[in-house]
Amino acid sequence: MSEIRAIADSFDAILQSKNVEKYTYTLVQSEKQELNVEGNSFKLMRTVFNNSGSLKVFRGARMGSVSGNDITEEGLAKLTDDGIAAAESAEEDPCHDFAPDQGKDVFEQGVYEPDMDRFFERIKEFLATVEKEYPKINIMMGIGSFDRNHWISRTTNGTEFEGFSGYYQFGIEFSAIDGEKTTGIAGGGFVTKDLDTPFIDVYNVRRQLEDAQNSLCPETVQGKFEGTVIMTPDCVTEFLSMLMSNYVSSNVIIDGTSQWLDKVGEKVADEKLTVALKPFDERIVVGERGTQDGFRTEEVTIIDHGVLKTHMLGLYASNKTGRPMIKNTGRDVVVDAGDQTLEELIASVDHGLLMGGFSGGYPGTNGEFSGVAKNSFLIENGKVKCAVMETMVNGNLGAMFANIRGITKEQLCDGMTVVPYIAFDGIVISGK
Amino acid sequence: MLQDVLKSKCTLFADGVQTILRGQENRTRRVVMVKGNLVQNARSDQRGVSARVNRDGMYGFASVAEYTPEAAEKVIKAATDNALLLGRHSDKRIVLPPSFGTGIIPTSGQIVDADQKRIIELCRTVDDHIAEKYPDLTSRVVVYTEDSMDKIIYTSDAYNGHVLYPRAHMYVVMDSETKDGVPVEMMDVFGGYGGFDDHFTDPETMWPKIDRIYERLMDKKEGVYADAGYKTVVLGGMMGGMLAHEAVGHTVEADLVRGGSVAGPNLNKRVASDLVTMVDFAHTYDGAAAPLPVYLDDEGTKAEDAVLIKDGILVGYMNDRESAAEYGMTPLGNARGWGFSDEPLIRMRNTCILPGKNTVEELIASVDDGYYLIDSGNGQADLTGEFMFGVTCGYEIKNGKLGRALLDTTVTGVAFDMLKSVDMISDEVIWSTSGTCGKKQPMAVGMGGPHLRCKIMIGGR
Repeated sequence: MSEIRAIADSFDAILQSKNVEKYTYTLVQSEKQELNVEGNSFKLMRTVFNNSGSLKVFRGARMGSVSGNDITEEGLAKLTDDGIAAAESAEEDPCHDFAPDQGKDVFEQGVYEPDMDRFFERIKEFLATVEKEYPKINIMMGIGSFDRNHWISRTTNGTEFEGFSGYYQFGIEFSAIDGEKTTGIAGGGFVTKDLDTPFIDVYNVRRQLEDAQNSLCPETVQGKFEGTVIMTPDCVTEFLSMLMSNYVSSNVIIDGTSQWLDKVGEKVADEKLTVALKPFDERIVVGERGTQDGFRTEEVTIIDHGVLKTHMLGLYASNKTGRPMIKNTGRDVVVDAGDQTLEELIASVDHGLLMGGFSGGYPGTNGEFSGVAKNSFLIENGKVKCAVMETMVNGNLGAMFANIRGITKEQLCDGMTVVPYIAFDGIVISGK
Repeated sequence: MLQDVLKSKCTLFADGVQTILRGQENRTRRVVMVKGNLVQNARSDQRGVSARVNRDGMYGFASVAEYTPEAAEKVIKAATDNALLLGRHSDKRIVLPPSFGTGIIPTSGQIVDADQKRIIELCRTVDDHIAEKYPDLTSRVVVYTEDSMDKIIYTSDAYNGHVLYPRAHMYVVMDSETKDGVPVEMMDVFGGYGGFDDHFTDPETMWPKIDRIYERLMDKKEGVYADAGYKTVVLGGMMGGMLAHEAVGHTVEADLVRGGSVAGPNLNKRVASDLVTMVDFAHTYDGAAAPLPVYLDDEGTKAEDAVLIKDGILVGYMNDRESAAEYGMTPLGNARGWGFSDEPLIRMRNTCILPGKNTVEELIASVDDGYYLIDSGNGQADLTGEFMFGVTCGYEIKNGKLGRALLDTTVTGVAFDMLKSVDMISDEVIWSTSGTCGKKQPMAVGMGGPHLRCKIMIGGR
């Protein structure tokens, strides 16, 4: 995986020989070694050697985008021809562009040489621990992988970024089974650059296994009430993603359907909420270094103590709307910690849920959501009472983030995000 | 289409080892217009070769991003090495599943690459039509998407073949606002199995359905929130298809049965009213091609229909070769992988509840106080059969007549409980061809269903 720079030189020569004067591309060589587990034992080992080339060709104010995985000379020549054809097919739109010269840089992140023997041992140790300490847990699927990427990105404005990254990933899907009783599917996972910690003790793995074992006898919530929902970090991440997509992303600003269209600088959420994109945070294993528009990635605060600081616009959306862009694609989310423990948060709730997952329709631009609370527990009078089933939650994305009861001191990090538990008031909870 | 460069490498298949060699190309074409702006204009081709080897009771899989005889040789060796390495770390062994026949499956259909310029022109024509005819919309989105798979499959002890899966779809989304300024949205999809020329040579054929999207959006502008609770509903055919796929289909995939799904203890037991029969069709429905015809799966199993529920009794699972042997069933061609680098998993093909005897009008007329739920944005289900579907288009039913439109909501239930409440089924099937199912990998699927009268939990304010 060392010849990517030579391949890039060859690609430049091909593009120039075909009179492409303005372009940007990224070439990637990747390797994955994946260990698949089913029912507490190894089942399949998978190796993937892949490449990718993505190219944007500009012909005046026309832009075409193509990608493929053949980065041989022949493949890159075809990619170039396809890119030219796509650009020449496009309509003129001067808003398509990429970053001015960002200089040259090389980024190295994570671990580039895996210790596969130790990785095997960590997975075996995990399976043995689950079998011993969580006997009702059935691992439906476990996937441990080591991923290594070497990439290079160039633009005709002079930017050249090169990156080396490698990381381990471990994820499981599981249920608890006791005779004919079974829970729903639970799952989780994390990314790590080292194998120093037993997997059972990373992120929230142990808590998820305990929660599943405690969910074998769920009860149905009676009636309908407005209550407080404490979301786990996984669940908060899911709702934040929907919030960002529906309220601040490029598409909803371009088409004007965002309810926060003219709210930059205004308070849109509870003052306890601060959300930032922090690719350089040391807890993020492989943070973004270059954006899709060819800029050096920067740290960006989206919501600061409840005040909307910026929309999340790329260069095209910025040019199209005349609003400021951000130099960040939107990964590496960090939510600031609060000042309560999870126990204190639970103790403060009279009637509500501790919610580990959400299975619901994707909200429309009005932010209204409704769905089923998964891997969830009923809270009554400040105590977790029982697991629940067939329980729906309804609310509005914008309203819920403006109605935060509390945020935990504890933030959980899965290597990609850093997020605490958050309690939201005013959620409609209904049972059968 | 792929040229066969793999055949000569079948001589490398070792005796006593089950080997699958697969060459594959996935193509995607995508054009997105948001409010008239061409925001995406993209094409992608992904090609490579993979091998899966079952050696000494372990599976090894390897793939490379080249489609050459040398690459085939490399992946067979790497897959073998992976199986051997895994064997050194595990005591448990997989028994080699038996062969269910060998032969060659003939190629059906073709993949024709559409010029990007024609795709953009089509999107522009559709967008201009909407903008001109419906200037009061707050926004509109037109998305053209094509995803095709081209696979050449060689096996050591099963069928070989060259199979094709072309799909071309266009999504049209319209946005407006209620009188209170709350955004509302309506979407529908056009196209199906095949390529651009099979579906989009005459845009004017799309106008009636585009008019219907607008009419439903105008209804939704005046819409109301559903009254949350356990209600009698008529599920439209798209919702019936979603039910077949999400709520029942996943629970009867044998790998999920092994993982503890509710279908495990319910085999050969009543799980639905006796009106309900459900089948995962391989390639043909009612004498015509199913929405996503599958003739050969990625383990070399010849594809046949899998009957899952018959007259309300759960009678079968969907299997790969290994699970079929485990459950004493016959594999019927459900093992498929999405990309060249993806191993085959148990996947649905064209999952459908069979039609009944009533008309849709009879179903609606039979409901005093309930809802007609027409279309779904997405759906999910669990091992327990607990499911959720987002409802993006629906109406009240009052005294047997349609009432006000509904704002977006969600329905939920437990599949085998809900199916027992089905007491009327309509006499036609509506198919969805644009489904993409997620299960470690994405996968193109078809799903279909008739209208069903049943009881279900609906969310609301």
